[in-house]
Formats: sequence, structure tokens, C-alpha cells
Amino acid sequence: MASLQEPWLLETGNLKGCSKEIRHGRTAHNMSSSSLRKKSDLTLVSKVRFVMLRQFLTNLQEVILGTKLSVLFPAVPLAIVAQCYGFGRPWVFALSLLGLTPLAERISFLTEQIAYYTGPTVGGLLNATCGNATELIIAIFALSQHKIDVVKYSLLGSVLSNLLLVLGTSLFCGGIANLRREQKYDRRQADVNSLLLLLALLCHSLPLLFRMSGASAALTADPTLQLSRASSIVMLIAYVSYLVFQLFTHRQLFEAQEESEDDDGVSEEEPVIGFWSGFIWLVGMTAVIALLSEYVVGTIEDASNSWGISVSFISIILLPIVGNAAEHAGAIIFAFKNKLDISLGVALGSATQISMFVVPLCIVVAWIMGIKMDLNFNLLETGSLALSIIAVAFTLQDGTSHYLKGLVLLLLYIVIGACFFVLKTPLSNGIDTVIGA
Amino acid sequence: MESAGELSYMENGESNKRLMGKETCNNNGGVIRTAHNRSNSFMRKKSDPILVSTIRFQMLRQFLTNLQQVIFGTKLAVLFPAIPLAIAADYYKFGRPWIFALSLLGLTPLAERVSFLTEQIAYYTGPTVGGLLNATCGNATELIIALFALYQNKIHVLKYSLMGSVLSNLLLVLGTSLLCGGLANLKKEQRYDRKQADVNSGLLLLGLLCHMLPLMFRYAAQPSGISIAESTLELSRASSVVMLVAYIGYIIFQLKTHRQIFDAQGDGGEDEDEDEEKAVIGFWSGFSWLVGMTLIIALLSEYVVGTVEAASETWGISISFISIILIPIVGNAAEHAGAIIFAFKNKLDISLGVALGSATQISMFAVPLCVVVGWIMRIPMDLDFSLLETGCLALTILVVAFTLQDGTSHYMKGVVLCLCYIAISACFFVHKIPAPLDQTNVNLELNSA
Repeated sequence: MASLQEPWLLETGNLKGCSKEIRHGRTAHNMSSSSLRKKSDLTLVSKVRFVMLRQFLTNLQEVILGTKLSVLFPAVPLAIVAQCYGFGRPWVFALSLLGLTPLAERISFLTEQIAYYTGPTVGGLLNATCGNATELIIAIFALSQHKIDVVKYSLLGSVLSNLLLVLGTSLFCGGIANLRREQKYDRRQADVNSLLLLLALLCHSLPLLFRMSGASAALTADPTLQLSRASSIVMLIAYVSYLVFQLFTHRQLFEAQEESEDDDGVSEEEPVIGFWSGFIWLVGMTAVIALLSEYVVGTIEDASNSWGISVSFISIILLPIVGNAAEHAGAIIFAFKNKLDISLGVALGSATQISMFVVPLCIVVAWIMGIKMDLNFNLLETGSLALSIIAVAFTLQDGTSHYLKGLVLLLLYIVIGACFFVLKTPLSNGIDTVIGA
Repeated sequence: MESAGELSYMENGESNKRLMGKETCNNNGGVIRTAHNRSNSFMRKKSDPILVSTIRFQMLRQFLTNLQQVIFGTKLAVLFPAIPLAIAADYYKFGRPWIFALSLLGLTPLAERVSFLTEQIAYYTGPTVGGLLNATCGNATELIIALFALYQNKIHVLKYSLMGSVLSNLLLVLGTSLLCGGLANLKKEQRYDRKQADVNSGLLLLGLLCHMLPLMFRYAAQPSGISIAESTLELSRASSVVMLVAYIGYIIFQLKTHRQIFDAQGDGGEDEDEDEEKAVIGFWSGFSWLVGMTLIIALLSEYVVGTVEAASETWGISISFISIILIPIVGNAAEHAGAIIFAFKNKLDISLGVALGSATQISMFAVPLCVVVGWIMRIPMDLDFSLLETGCLALTILVVAFTLQDGTSHYMKGVVLCLCYIAISACFFVHKIPAPLDQTNVNLELNSA
């Protein structure tokens, strides 16, 4: 099953020399997630007699208990139980949300472990695609249940959360912790990401303006759809060239700074689980995420009705906070250590990934499935997106930081959150009027 | 007619004319080798005078040299036969789409030759007048097309073509230059002087404000139902005067007080012999060629504007797409190629000067000039370019201003700008608005309130 030899060798530290040759691309995303890990204490396991059992338990301990967020793991079986025994649907919703948080973090850990074996380029690609696996899976499930509004809101909320909340709290905490020091970061990385976000903003604004300046909804629906699909292909091309730029030609702009005297021992460059065990765990966890996402998407209206909050608020604010919790914590920790490049890499990279990859991918998937999803995210949401992108682009354009920048971004997020809190619109599914059960 | 003496000296390559030429050019700043001029110089090829010199008669020889310099002195000369073909097509009543296509093809080399002639004349008139000439005639094609559209009361074609020219310069020309330059210089650092880009961005933002005010004015006044057409017109006319004042200020800034920002970098032993600072044709011959070519441009522009609807119906593309995308690509073809070539050589200042300077010129000179001409001719042309176009313009200027504000470049910037242009052209491709039936009504869209 798993390559059981490797954990043994790692315990005795023989493989250190071999792993260093595999430059596995310690991107900002990997490094930030690594701060949430804790070194597994293998002394308890080593007391178990049988070798196979011992290795299996080691594996289990690494994967399941290897994170500070593992306290939330019991929510996963609780959510399944709640669904099967027909507890209140809001409970299913809340428990699924709680269960998604550690799973998202474990996926990124497993992706990083697999990247040790596959080399830096494929590792980077894996990270780029699976980095936001949770948001992608939630979006695809919502699409299959014809809840197009939930898709749009959750993806938009994810971008806003990354740009304003994660970045704001990181800059704020980093600024407060480093009051006497100068905080610098490389602005070229921020510039490339801001530029891609502006392209995404253009692709979102065009269908909106088209709709607003058009004659009637019926006449402009089809052209808007064609335009959205064409724009999605444009955005995917831009994302592919961004990957080429980031992983091949201009890697030096994006590589996380190496630190030697770091905190936990996970900075050492060797994997802690084997390739196949990592792969199997990845598949398994993705399946569990898919299950919980299905619960989340299915019960969102009931939760909204019971708690008295609008669906838009839940989709734009609550869902992304949960999905991004691990990255969020990591970004703040690195900002405390005055390593702003990594925090920016996490926040901006995630936002770029969602707006240039996940959103057009959903449009293409909807195209294949025959669902009419377009890039028109309505005036209020597109306006919020536009102002957020402009604010972030302006904030990051000079290469230094202080706590007031973080405070402003944070307050922007609070204002947008308040806006969607008071906005109680009914779910209008546009042309596709099937209401998901 | 021409100063025939000058040409014979040129053929013999004597240095007499060289000295004379250098003195007539102002020694203060030499001839203005603006970015525009230098980029077009790549389209030229050195004329080979050997063939001509075997002809006996001196006058004939000089005339043929002149002809060779002017007509064949460019790589685009292959497109010249389109001009007589277009005239023949119009005379013999071929299909109107054919007239449209042939006129477009014929305009491309003519636009480049006009800029060549302007540069030649600038050798004789000195740097300041030369710079002014370049500034005015640099976008002669777009200006003439616009004036004809105004005259035929096709306000929407006018607005679309001018706006499309700005978009094409800012996104397509700039994007492909940055992309090609970035790919060709992957290992090198690409820098440019950001002050020139900043000045142009500032002026473009002023133009954007002047476009958005009538638009927001119209939306703000809609609920109350009062007719705001006259107020919008007055506001547009006042804004046009403001924009022309800004453009004059920009000319003074560029040609007199802050010339050092805009001077193209000198290069010692680089390209071909077009770097030598002497004119290849006489002043009066250049002037008469200029007048002649402008007349032909006017004729072809009249064909283009007259047949644009027929072409749109036959080819099944909307008028907005033809005006915003096709016509500007044709009009800008020569500048486009030149900008890409300079970007390959990592001389981004020149590429930026071409693209941004052209966009500023159209936005701050051609557009308000059309409003003023419309004012004189009592045609209600205003600055309200409707929501979709103004939105595209706003986002374009924002993206370009942000792209150019740090002074370095890599191919990713070019990729993003090109993809923005593709997205905008896709938008106008699917935007099938009906052609206006009422010629005096300039507001096209049917707004659902």
C-alpha cells in the first residue's frame, strides 16, 4: 500500500541528503500553511509492537493530527450523522462548514507532500490548481444544483475575502508587531497580480455594461452569454501565461525567501509521508470535502431562513471565511515575522487564482453542462469588486507597508460586509428559473 | 517647380548639400526625431538611384527620383494598387463592400506616406513647426475619416472610430509592443522613463472625465424627465474647449519647456542610413505631395464612410465592430509595426511615445476638434459616447495607467493588455445595435429606465 519504508528512514534521518536535491518550490502558499503544522510526536506510536500497524498509525498521526486545526475534525462525522438522522438542517450546514476548515488545510499539506516527489514545476502546478480546492468544489456543486447565484456570490466573496480580509489583517497585525521596523516587500509580484485582477475586472464589467446599456433583458441575454464565454477563455489564457511566468521564466520574483533559523521543524525539506499514501489521503479527503460541500450547498437556504440572514451574506462573507481560515492564519503569522512577501503571495495569489481560474472554469463547466452562467455579477457586487481591486492595487504599489494600510483594507471589508448584511434580495436565478431543492 | 538643384546634389552624394542642410535645420535642437518619426523610419527602404540616373533628361530624372522616394520608399508600397482599384470600383459600381475593403487597404500606405512627408517638411521648417506639424498630421487619417463622417451626419461612426482608435493605440499597439519586447528580451531588464507615461496618463484621465460628465449628466437627469439634450451639448462644447486648451499646454510642454523627457534616445551606429539628418525631397515637392496625398486620403475616406453600412450588412458584422476594431487597425498599421520593431530592440521609450502620444492626440485633439467643427456646422455632436464605450474607455485607461506606472516591463504586461483588447473586441462583436434611422438623434441606445 504505502511506501512504508520511508517514514522509518525519515525517523532516523537518512534521507535528508537525497531530498535536498529535489527543489520542490517552496511557494508562499506552502510556507504559510506549514506554520499551522505541529511536529508529530512519534514516541507514543513507537511503543506499538507490530511494524505495519506502527507505520499505519504514524501515517495517521501525521495526516489527521498534524495540524492545530485538528480539533475541528470531529465536526466531519457529526455532520454526516446529522444529515443521516435528519437533525435540523441549519445544524447540518454549520457542522459541515466547521468540518471543511481542517480538511482544506490538510489538502494543502498533502499537495505539498506530493510536490516533494513530483518536482518543483508539477508541484507548483498542483498547488496552483488545488490551492483553492474547497471553493472550486463548492462552486461546482452549486452549479450542478442550478444555484447560479450561490456560485457567483461565493466566488466573489472568496476574492473579496482574500484581497481585503486576509491581506488587511496580515498588514495590520504585521504593522502593529513591527512598529519600529521598516516593512518592505517586492512590488513586482504585487503588480503582476494586480494587473491580472484588473483584467478580471474588465471581463466582469463588460457583460454588466452590456446588460445595462442594452434594450431589454431578453435581447441581451444571448450576447451576454457568448461574451462571457469568450471572456472566460481569455481569462484562462491569461492564467496559463501567468503560470508560465511564475513557474518558468520569472521564478525569481515569486520564490519565498529562505529562512534558516525558523520555528517548527517542518522547514526541513523532506516529506513525512510516502507518495502513494499522500495520494490516497488526498483522494479520500477530496471525497469527504465533496460530501460536506454537497451538504453546505443543499442546506444553505434553510440556514438562511432559520438564522434570518440573507443568502448573499452567507455566500459572500461566511463561506469564504471558513474556506480561507488556514491560509488566513498562515498569512498573519508570517506578517508577524515581517515576511510580507509570503503573506502577499498567499493572499494575492489566492485571489488571482479564483478570479482568473476558478470563475472562468465554472463558466466553461456550465457551458458544457448546458447551464447559462455568465460573468455578469450584478451592479453591487461588481462595484464592490472594482473598488476593492483599485484600493488594493493602490495600496500595494509602493512596496512598503504599515498598519494603517491593513486597517483601511479591513474596514473596507467590514463596510462591504455590512452592505450585504442589510441587502435582503430574493434569489433571482436569471434566465434559468429552476429553484434547487 | 521643385528645386531641381538640390536633387542632383543628393544623387551625387556631395557634401555641399549636407552642409547647407545642416544650417537650415535649426541648430538648437536639430531636427525633431520624435518617437513617431523614428518608428515610421523603419518602414522606409533606401531608394536605389542607380536605375534612375541612366535616364538622360535631368528634369525627368529628378522627377522619377522624387517619385521613387515618395511612392516606393516604403515596404507598404505593395498596397498602393488598392487606390486605383478602389476608385475604379466606385466608378464602375462594383459591390459596395468591395469599395469599402479596397479603400481601407489603400489608406494604409497613404497614412504612412503622409507621416513621412510631414517629417521631410519638418527638416525645412525647423523643430517647433515640425513638431506641431507632426502633432497635427500624425493622425491625419483618423481625423479625415472623422470629419467626413461628421459631414455625412453619421455621428455614431465618428464616435466609434475615434474611440476605437484610442483603444487600439492603448491596448493593441502598446500590448503587442510590450509582449514582443518582453519575449525578445527575456533575460534583460526592460526600463523606460515613466515621466512621459505619466503625463500622457494624466491627459487621458482628463479626457475620460470630460467624456463621463455628459454621460452621468444624462443618467442623473433621466428620472426627472426634463430634456437635457441641449445642456449636454453645451457641456460637451465647453469641455471640448477645455480639452483643446489642455492639448495646447501639452504641446508647449512637449516641444518647449520639457523636451528632454520626450526626446527619443539617440543611438550611435545602430540602424540604417535613415539616421542621417537630411531630407530626401525638396520642400515644395514634399508640400505638393502632401497636399495630393491628403486629397486622395479624403477621397478614400469618403468611400469608407459612405459604404460602411453596406459592408456591415453584407459581412454580417455590426457597424460598431467595424468602426471600433477594423478601421483603427488599418489606420494604425504603420505605427503599430514600428512600435513593435523598437520594442524588439529594447527601446521602449519610443514604442511608448508612439502609442501613448497617438492616443493622447486623438483623445485631446481629434475628438474636441470634431465637436467644435460640429458646432460650426450646426451638427449636434456631443461627448456622450454611451455607457458601454465610456466604460471600456475608463477601464482601459485605468489598466494602462496602472501598467505603466512603475517604469519596468515584462511580457506579462503585454499579454494582459492584448487580452483586454480581445475581450473588448469580443464585446463589440456581439453588440448588434440597429443602425439609427433618425440622423439627428445622436443617442443610440434604447435605455430601459
